[in-house]
Order: sequence, then C-alpha cells, then structure tokens
Amino acid sequence: MNALHEQFIAEARELIHQATDDLIAMEREGFALERIDRVFRAFHTLKGSAGVVALPAMGLTLHAAEDLLAAIHAGKLDASSAIVDQALACLDQVARWVDDFEAGGALPPSAGEDARSMAAMLRSLLSESGVTETAKKSAQRSSAPAGRLPKWVSRLIESHQGRIVDETRESPAELFAFSYEPDSQCFFNGDDPLNLMRKVPRLLAFHAEAHETWPPVADLDPFACNLRLQGISAGGHAELADIFRLVPDQVRLVEVPLEALRLDQAHGADDDDRVGLIRVVIEEQRQVLRAANQGDDMIGRIGAVSRAAANALRYGGLQDLADAIERANVAALSERNAGHLLSALDQTQALLPRASSAVPPDAAVVSGSADAQVEEAERPASRALRVDEGKIDALVNLAGELIVAKNGISHLARRLQDELEDRELARAVRREHDAIERLAGEMHAAILQLRMVPLAQVFRSFPRLVRDMSQRLGRKVRLVTNGETTEADKAIVDRLFEPLLHLVRNALDHGIENPEQRRTAGKAEGATVTMRASRAGDRFIIEVIDDGRGIDPAIVRRRARERGVIGDDELAALPDDQVIDLIFSAGFSTAAEVSDISGRGVGMDVVRATVERIGGRASVISRVGAGTTVRLDLPMNIAMSRIMVVSAGGQIFGIPMDAVTETVRLAPDRVSRIKNNDGFVLRDRIVPICSLAELMKLPQARAPGSDARLVVVTDISGKVIALEIDAIEDRLEVVLKPLQGLLSNARGYAGTTLLGDGRVLLVLDLKEILP
Amino acid sequence: MSVRREDDGTTIVLDGHCAVEEAEPLLQFLQATPAACLDWRQCTHLHTAVLQVILAARPQLIGPCGDAWVQRWVASNVL
Repeated sequence: MNALHEQFIAEARELIHQATDDLIAMEREGFALERIDRVFRAFHTLKGSAGVVALPAMGLTLHAAEDLLAAIHAGKLDASSAIVDQALACLDQVARWVDDFEAGGALPPSAGEDARSMAAMLRSLLSESGVTETAKKSAQRSSAPAGRLPKWVSRLIESHQGRIVDETRESPAELFAFSYEPDSQCFFNGDDPLNLMRKVPRLLAFHAEAHETWPPVADLDPFACNLRLQGISAGGHAELADIFRLVPDQVRLVEVPLEALRLDQAHGADDDDRVGLIRVVIEEQRQVLRAANQGDDMIGRIGAVSRAAANALRYGGLQDLADAIERANVAALSERNAGHLLSALDQTQALLPRASSAVPPDAAVVSGSADAQVEEAERPASRALRVDEGKIDALVNLAGELIVAKNGISHLARRLQDELEDRELARAVRREHDAIERLAGEMHAAILQLRMVPLAQVFRSFPRLVRDMSQRLGRKVRLVTNGETTEADKAIVDRLFEPLLHLVRNALDHGIENPEQRRTAGKAEGATVTMRASRAGDRFIIEVIDDGRGIDPAIVRRRARERGVIGDDELAALPDDQVIDLIFSAGFSTAAEVSDISGRGVGMDVVRATVERIGGRASVISRVGAGTTVRLDLPMNIAMSRIMVVSAGGQIFGIPMDAVTETVRLAPDRVSRIKNNDGFVLRDRIVPICSLAELMKLPQARAPGSDARLVVVTDISGKVIALEIDAIEDRLEVVLKPLQGLLSNARGYAGTTLLGDGRVLLVLDLKEILP
Repeated sequence: MSVRREDDGTTIVLDGHCAVEEAEPLLQFLQATPAACLDWRQCTHLHTAVLQVILAARPQLIGPCGDAWVQRWVASNVL
C-alpha cells in the first residue's frame, strides 16, 4: 500500500463520517442550503479521490449521489428522509469498499454490479421528481473566480489571510464578506453599528474605515456616522442575513469562494516574499530553541517551536517540510532533546529556496489530477502524524521500565544510609534519584500524551446510530453531544464504545417513552439524549442523559427480589437512590420483554464491569418521569497506578491507591465487636474491619486486643471496609503487569510489579478479596 | 460620565460603558488638548460613535482596550 492509497483511505473515512454527520444533522435541523452544500462537497471530493486511486465503481456511485444532491441544492428537488436514507446507504457502501480497498488493495468483484444498482436507486429518486437533465447541469456549482472579487474583499483576505486559512482548514465553511455603511443618521435612531459586528458569528477579518475622508478634527460631527465596517465571516449566509435584516440597504454580502483563498495563497503574495517570511519564522524558532535550557520549559518550547515552524511551512504550501518538522518534534519530545528539532530546522532552512522555485511535491499530484484534488487544498490538512500503535506502546513500556529502574536507585540510597551509614553519599544518590524521577516522570507523561485521543472518536458514531434506532422504535429522539474534544488515552477511549453503545441503546429502548406516552405525560414529543464529556482533574466524566421515564425504584426492588440479586433484609434497608444502583448487578434487566435493540442478555452489569476494568466507576441518578443520567467516571490513562505497599502477616502487598480513602490508627477502645466482626465508627458510620493477614490466610502477627491497630479504609463501589494491616511500607507509582502464565487465573490479584530491590510485589484486587 | 480628563490635561480616560453621548465630550477634549493620550483600559463597552471619534482623531492610546471585542478586532488591526 503506497502513501497515496493510505492517504486516500484516511481521508475517505473522514469524509464519509463528515457527510454522515451532516446528513443526519440536515434531516434533524432542516435542509439548510449550506449543509446541503457541505454534504455535496464531501461527496464531490470523495468522488474525485476515488478517481485518483482508480476506483471507477466508487466514482460511479458517488457521481449519482452527487447529482441528486446537486438537484436538491439547486432547488429542483425537495430533500426528504428517503433521500437521506439513500445517501446514507450510499455512504455505507462506500465505507465497505474503503475497508475492502484497505484489506486487499482492490474492490471486490461484485463492486461493479453493486455500484450500478446503487446508482440506479439514487437516480430513480432523481427521476421520480421529474428533474431534467438540463436542470442537473445547471445545478453544477460555480464560484466567482478570485480575480473578479471586489478589491475590498481581496484586501480583507490579504490582511487576515493566516487566520482565514487556518480557520477554514480547521472547519471548512462558506465564507462571506460584508461591507456595511451605516446610515449617517443612525446614531439618532439609537443604533450602534458596532454591536451588529459583535454579533457576527465566526468573524475572521475586520476592517473599519471612513466612508468619506475624515474632516479635520475641529470639523468632525460626532453624531454623524461616517464609517464603513467590513469583515469576513464563516458563519454562513443565513446568519449574516439575519444579523443585517434591519439594514439590508446598507449592507453588501459577497461570497468568498474558497478557491480565492488558495489562489491568493499561491499567487497573491510574491512567492519570494513568502519564502522570505517563512525563513524569518524558522530563524526565530531556532533562536527560541537555542535560548532554552534543559529545564522544565523544554517540552513546552519544543512543542511551540515545532507548531510555529510547521504552520509557517504549511502556509507556504510546503507540506512535506512541515511533516518533517513534526516528526522531529516527536523525536525531540520523546528524547527530551531539542537537538532533533534544531537540526530539522537547519535542514528546512537549507531546503527552502529550492522548494519554493520548484513546485512543491504535493502540488505535482494536485495539478495533474481531477478537480477533487483542487478541493483537497481547501480541506483541513490533517496535522496528525500516523504512528503505528505498537511503536508508541513500546515507548510507554520503556518509560515504565525506566520508572521501575528509578525506584531501584531510591532503594540503593536507603541501603547506603542503613547499611554503610554513609549519609553524605546517600543524600547525593537521592538527589540524583530525584532528578531522574522528574525526568522519567515528564518523559512518561509526554509519551502518554502521544496516546491521547479526543472522545469525538467514539462519540461520532452515535448520531447515526441514534437516528437508525429511533426510526426503528418509532420514537423521536435528538442526540446532543457535548465535550467531544475531551481527551483520554486511546486504550480507554477504544474500550468505551461498547458501554456507551449499551447505555444509549438502553436510553432509547427503555428510557424514552413512545410519542403518545410523552404527550400524555405533558412532555415534548421529541426526546433528547445527551452524551456529555468533561474533564475533572486527572479523570474525566462521561454522562449519558435521557429525558425519558426515569427508573422506578419500586420496579427495581421487585425485580431485584424476584431475581434474588440481593438479600431481602439488605434490600429493605437500601434507600431508593441506592436501589436503582442495583441495575448494575449481574442478571438484572428491567425491560419487560427482550427487544432486538437491547436486552439481549448483556446488561448494565457488563457496562459497570467494563468501566471498572479500566479503572472507572459507573453510577446512575434517575428521577421518575424526568429521566436518567448514567455517569461514568474514568481515568485519563491506565498505564500508571499508584499503590500503597503494606505489610501483613509478614508479607508485603500492594493496594491500589484509588481504592484507599484514608488510613486510620485505632486505639483499642475505638474498636467494638459487632456480631462476630470487629468494627469502628468513622464519621457516624460503622466500618467493619477485616484483617488482611486473615484474608490472605497468613499467621496473625499481632495478638488480638493488644495496642493500637492500623487500618486502611477502602471504598469499593460504595462499600466501605477497613483493612487491617501491620504497617505501611511505602507509596509507589508503578506499572502494573497482569499476572501471567500459571498465575493468570489466580483470583484476588490486580497484577504484579517489580520493586526496587528486585522483589515482586503482588498488588491486590480488593474487590475480589474483600467479603 | 464615562469620559474624563486627568487634571494635568495629558490623559483622557474612558471608563466603563461608553455610550453614544460620550462621543461629544471626548471630541471636545481631543480638540482642546490634541496631544493628550487616551487611556481606554477601563472601558468595558465602546459605542460606535465613540470609536468613530477615536478613528478620526487618532490620539495616542494607552491600551489594551478593556472592551475585548474592540481590542481584538479594532486595536490590533485597524488602529
């Protein structure tokens, strides 16, 4: 698979996702022209890309879909759910082909046939509505060539080009330039034209000037408006028209074709000037790097420098050089050595003039191929560096090993002090240890950062899912996603899809009522399911919220009794808000019947188990009639665990710190005997005491009833238990390794880790061992 | 009154919400003491008419402007 093909696959998937999102949004929020336009563009680009990698079947299908969308765009055809369905089906087909292409480098033999039938379906929708061939032709979009843009627009583009190019790369949109000349008497009407400007969405450029040359200050009339306010917005035509609705006669709106930006970019400024500018930027970055010490801010500097340099290079269309800088950035970050970046910058400087006089390598492809490639330049260039996950994992492991090795030095220092009684040397070793600890920690963090991906990766599949499910169930459901830019370790994000899928299905299937039921309950017919992510310190929260019927504690109680999920006494003692937590218990299902959407034996217990396996917690809040919120509290990454090393019965064990709420030293009189168990009162709550030695079947070192007892208070899924230990030995940050080989089935252990002195520490899985 | 001149006459200060009626006193100050600096750091909202006086008279400004929109879009690229 060559680079072009890889690029195609990644981009095609991106476009398919984007078009799917837009189609669904379009159906939900109305067929706004700009949305149709975005979808059209995505199909158009896909078609072009398919042409470039020589996949005619894909091209044929997409071409038919494109015609359909063009007809809608031109107003020759009314958009309908049937069309959205068919367009989505077309995208599904294309997505399957992309998978095939990735797997085998070619489309399956049936592709030609599938393409023809898909195209026929799409065209039938077109002809059903009697759209003529000529109408289709007239629907082809054309934008005014850049040369014919009014001068003021070009000036605006020139003065804010960097920002406009950046913004449209981040999220492409229709650009409109406006020129607003408020009426000279407008101040007397109570108008504040600047206020309209403040409301302009996604303002990218702004300029204010005198409508007629300013008179001398002595003659200025402060109450006669003599201004011309101009700007460029990516907020869409409709919104701009709305803002200026009261002053239509004073405003001109001009569409800025995205090509105009690119043309400006390529020919607007003198190429030599452009290279000169890049050269200056790069030189600045070199100085910034050289000025850096090997201190704390190094990582930050490397990041900032590489970003600035790469952006400058992209601005000049030198994608390859920008990529090289980013590769150097990764190397520099992972080795904490700015040298890599510095030499990459040097190299870039050397390559610059040649690169400018020759056509940039990317452009060679562009100019040779179809119009799709022309559009490519408008689309956000992916700034991601694709690295094989295995390579990053190897780095994570190495950094983990380094931390273990570092713990060894700490042990060494202790031996120096205890056995050789050389305090001086011990202190020196400890100092070195601290330095290495800091560096290793930073390196570990930087490497983990590489694995961070936005939650958008999981969230993005849901709009489609919700659409399809709500159609099948005959319920009107709107999905709102929130905070998808929140980032977490890839390993965690990857494992969230299934639990989230289950939660969303549950919400739709069990949570949301039928439209009639909702009407009767006095609710809006359309229900809302919200997926919300947010960061909370070094953890993050995902909530799945529905405004459905809520969970009735009485029903949960009854079912819990029927299924014997929990003992009757215990059940009776549970307050309502804790009763609904039982839905997470194994073998519990509140659905009256098993449906084909959810309730196929996989219950909420699997959600909780999956979430807990990655170090998270699942909880539920619900109000009958008002809806349910399931909250997942998750760690940002799973590679490191903080543990407490304790001794009991003459052995040492590790206890995960996230289970420990506090440690308490208990005077004998605080401990009371409750039934046949010891317990004590902690903040008005009785906490049972379990002896760790007893749990591990080890001899009790302490004679019962003697002096103060040391307990670690743990909170596992809301159950508070005090674990009695002999002593706390240490607190460590470790890389937990799962038990392997013969031990892999041993229960009660979360994993092992190597201690500084070479001993293996068994880390307990408290959930398993505590009663 | 959101526009005032320091006693020594060297600085004119815009403070708080500067509405349309502040345009005239501001212009008078600028006409009387053309060399005065204009301190708009405390200005939280600038009316178009006031901005127009500033654009026409171009006094030396002591910034950044307290009105974030004006600072972002006017102070940095129009003035």
